[in-house]
Amino acid sequence: MKLLYSWLKDFIDINLTPEELTKHFTSLGMEVADLKKTGADFDGVYAAKIERIENHPNSDHLHLVDLMTKDGPQRVVCGAQNIAVGQIVPLAKVGSRLGKIVLKPAVIRGVSSEGMLCSADELGLASTRQKGILVLDNSVQVGADIKQLYGGEADYIFDLELTPNRPDLMSILGIARELSTLLNLPLKNKTYKAVNGKGKSLEINLSCGADGCQRYMGRIIKDVKNVPSPQWLQDRLLALGVNPKSALVDITNYVMFELGQPLHAFDLSHIEDGKINVRFAEEGEKFLGLDDIERTLTPQMLVICDDRKPLCLAGILGGKHDSILDTTKDIFLEAANFNPVCINKTSKKLGLSSESSQRFERGLDINGPALAMQAATALILEICGGKPSEINDVYPQKIETPEVTFTLKQIEDILGMKILQEKAEQILRSLGTLTIDEKWTFKANSYRRDLKHRWDIAEELARYYGLENLAPQITSTHATLYFAEHPKTIDIGEKFSQTLVGLGFFECKNIALTSKKDVENFGYTTAQVPEIANPLAEGLEYLRPSLLASLLKNLEYNQRFSNNDLCLFEYDKTFSLQKGYPAEGFSLAGVMTGKTPREKFFLSPQCQVGFYGLKGIITKLLGDFTYTLQSAKQAPKYMHPKICMEIIVDKKVIGYFGELHPLTLKKYDLKQQVYAFEFSVKNLEKQFSAAEFKKAKDVPNLPSAWRDLSFIIDEKTQYSDILSALKDTPAKINLIDLYEGKNLPEGKKSLTLRFEFSAQEKTLTDKEVNGHVDNIFKTLQNSFGATLR
Amino acid sequence: MLYNIYMTINELLTKLSEIETSINSKLQSCQNTKELQDLQISALGRKGALTELLKNLKDLSLEDKKLFGPKSNALKQSLTTAFEAKLAELSLKEINENLNKTKIDLTLPAFPFNQGKRHPLAIAQKRMTDILSRLGFVWAEGPLIEDELHNFDALNIPKNHPARDMQDTFFIKNTTRKDFVLRTHTSGVQIRTMQKQKPPIRIMAPGRVFRKDAIDATHYPVFNQIEGLYVDKNVSLADLKRDLTVFMRGLFGQKAEVRFRSSFFPFTEPSVEVDVKCVFCEGKDANCPVCRGSGWKEMLGAGVVHPNVLKNCGIDPEVYSGYAFGMGVERLAMFSLNIKDIRAFYENDIRILEQF
Repeated sequence: MKLLYSWLKDFIDINLTPEELTKHFTSLGMEVADLKKTGADFDGVYAAKIERIENHPNSDHLHLVDLMTKDGPQRVVCGAQNIAVGQIVPLAKVGSRLGKIVLKPAVIRGVSSEGMLCSADELGLASTRQKGILVLDNSVQVGADIKQLYGGEADYIFDLELTPNRPDLMSILGIARELSTLLNLPLKNKTYKAVNGKGKSLEINLSCGADGCQRYMGRIIKDVKNVPSPQWLQDRLLALGVNPKSALVDITNYVMFELGQPLHAFDLSHIEDGKINVRFAEEGEKFLGLDDIERTLTPQMLVICDDRKPLCLAGILGGKHDSILDTTKDIFLEAANFNPVCINKTSKKLGLSSESSQRFERGLDINGPALAMQAATALILEICGGKPSEINDVYPQKIETPEVTFTLKQIEDILGMKILQEKAEQILRSLGTLTIDEKWTFKANSYRRDLKHRWDIAEELARYYGLENLAPQITSTHATLYFAEHPKTIDIGEKFSQTLVGLGFFECKNIALTSKKDVENFGYTTAQVPEIANPLAEGLEYLRPSLLASLLKNLEYNQRFSNNDLCLFEYDKTFSLQKGYPAEGFSLAGVMTGKTPREKFFLSPQCQVGFYGLKGIITKLLGDFTYTLQSAKQAPKYMHPKICMEIIVDKKVIGYFGELHPLTLKKYDLKQQVYAFEFSVKNLEKQFSAAEFKKAKDVPNLPSAWRDLSFIIDEKTQYSDILSALKDTPAKINLIDLYEGKNLPEGKKSLTLRFEFSAQEKTLTDKEVNGHVDNIFKTLQNSFGATLR
Repeated sequence: MLYNIYMTINELLTKLSEIETSINSKLQSCQNTKELQDLQISALGRKGALTELLKNLKDLSLEDKKLFGPKSNALKQSLTTAFEAKLAELSLKEINENLNKTKIDLTLPAFPFNQGKRHPLAIAQKRMTDILSRLGFVWAEGPLIEDELHNFDALNIPKNHPARDMQDTFFIKNTTRKDFVLRTHTSGVQIRTMQKQKPPIRIMAPGRVFRKDAIDATHYPVFNQIEGLYVDKNVSLADLKRDLTVFMRGLFGQKAEVRFRSSFFPFTEPSVEVDVKCVFCEGKDANCPVCRGSGWKEMLGAGVVHPNVLKNCGIDPEVYSGYAFGMGVERLAMFSLNIKDIRAFYENDIRILEQF
């Protein structure tokens, strides 16, 4: 909301710098979004008359201007294009002050200039809205002091950000009241004369009930002259960014800004049958607004009608047909209190917001119409003349602010601080009526409908006391100690993240919203995942069931900057629908692509880690869990059909890892092979507790013995089959060579296994070790027909 | 060299001292370990000079044995020690010579070990949860898809509140019930916790929230918040002020200046906003891009839990009271990690990620 400092002074005698005022506003909960200096802020600027204009000899846009001044003729250099011979203009000479600048002699392109012609901006008279040099009225005498002409002082425009619970602050008066309480200063008695008027007003029917309108006041004023507003009124509106139109329109705006109560003036000649009906619109009813746009209304929207047609969209927009013209003679003036919910819904639905609707939708003072009617009538009579009727005030159900009963101790308990009774009384008495017995009973003034219980009272006292004064020294706490573990999903995520970071993976964060394509590319249908009813944009309609699409997009993004060697992961929620209800669970996913550091290093021989690298990652990740890996019989569509394994926990497949299908790569515009994994952590949670310490196993003190065994075996035999056949062997088994190709019988491959036998009790003898190896080979012979190489 | 086995004791003693002198002088002139080892063998080896001489011992009289035995043993000892010392000296010299022959360009690139990094948002969030943990807040989680009861109603947010609008909140379409939304704040976790747990309650609830904001440098439809809630007997605004001052100083340093301003939220009363003195310009730069010249940076919203919220969760506001606060993680991360565009968090550009 915009606030003009000088206008504020109509209501309260303050002499604060704008900085001091900003501090007060901030502490009261009003943020100063902008502060502009305006108003005359200069000295020694006098009117002068332009006698002659010549082109500057060294410039194609500057002029040499000869002037008649109070001290005789003078020549200055000027760049403005709106000057003409005969104009009266403001001249600042050497020594004159413009804001913080004191003028010095200047030489402009070789011509000396002993002064300058001033624009409105340079004089701080922005509200005149004149571009270029400020051209004064011809009646202004040469030598007249411009400062006298423009009232003389710097002024300030504050742009305040208000909280939605304080509609009463949306006016100059409201801010003055706030400062009056804060500074304990009385409000100035700015009264508009009450006019009783003669003759009946229009008949008013609130057929909408309280859901539409809680109070409606109206009066007729006849024989008005809708002249242009006087300069002071125009200046004030301009300062708030409102363009003056005509006195009647300007006065309703002026009163709204000053008192916070929107008003509406109808041209009486357009109201048929002399009746006002406030009703809800009919379905499909048409309304042509002041803005020449025809809108179709619905039954939630409130309209002000005469006997036949809507004249005005209540509290939001005037109608084309009832609008005030320069020729308007008789008016009907409305001051009403419309239901905030109704105005809010209509404004939202039509996408139509006005200064008026913004005030109504927050809930206004039920007594505001009376004050505003009085002020507007007084101003209209002063400026436009006219004969007012009586006021018709329809106020079916009286609205009272509630009585709040409390003790000072209760307030002190909420705030955690002692409150001076005297100060509390002063604050509360300025906000309403206060009776003090055993308990305090407070009833707020009608414009503070937000003060409903003792917590509201506590907030008011804290605000006016200043939060900075609130118990600055407390250091003790009586907080009860209690302890709980982090949720398992958090701890398990932390464990996985740390492991992956250690293995060279970078953590990514992606948003949970995704597209139909991304849902379907990873084996889900859109019916299986929650869908947004009002998506922000195309491609953000669904909640992601899998994290892989996002990670592939991250790879693609990095690929654009030639970053092709990447390991990325994400741990986040994935979504599904279970019997019509949304379900959420955490997943871990990762992708690997390009060369490993070892492959990239200039001294390293070429080696491909590929799938087995990924398998190593999975093995490290799940090192502390019980699980099995198994070649996927039916790989998911997005995976390579042959290079994909299942991760199995408690007989359930919790996820997959492997090489991505070439078509998946194509869909995400990826230029090189990607290895990926994703699994759900739910089934792992029961095997994990951050609180549980792992028990150490004893390690043998004696050296171990090892033997290598090379053998030839059918090429179809899987390594896992060999391991399971040898599972009772008391040795660690490592594959140290695998050979397929030349010098081997057709359909065979050769493996070299290293067996490491460790001894717990005593050093193993050669005989014992050889015995083991013989057994191993026998097993291989019997199970797979292995032959020694 | 063979010695006459019938040498007299005097001859033997003379010989012993000759050996001592000769070996010691040869030992000093040894230039490398090879020479030294040869010399050691010729002196102390099985056929060495001293060994040979000692063979005479057995033919000596008991008296002579007592004289010659200890002397020759002492010499053996001292020579052994001298050889060891010389060996150490020469080996060190040789090792150093060898090392000095090394030819290498140390300025070639380092080996690029695998090391990943956590995401900057995870880093910022972890810092916040670590501090809150130390202040006794325990971690609570809640669903991202919330019903209107937990996201709005129970939080005293009126039915016609603008935040409940389709313009600001994402609604879910294809569920059986029609009141599911993507949570617009983490405050629903407060409600869920208070519904199932009696005070004392002291929780933090970090997590993602969703608002229908168009994407620009400071807005993203998804962002992260950390919620805090403390409910017990006699919890006051002063407790909130103290605890949040400690929290802010934890984040920004013990000297950080913290400012509390009155504000409004439907779920707290009184409500405050908490600012921190701009850590970039300390309030001294009128053109500071971080605080835009105001000298302060808004950090979080907070307040005393509204009695209606407590009532809605079955907690008696006449017995218990509490405070709650909510803070944006992105805001802190942008501020502290110097990230200028919120979109950078979700592009996952490795050139940004690897910096942290």
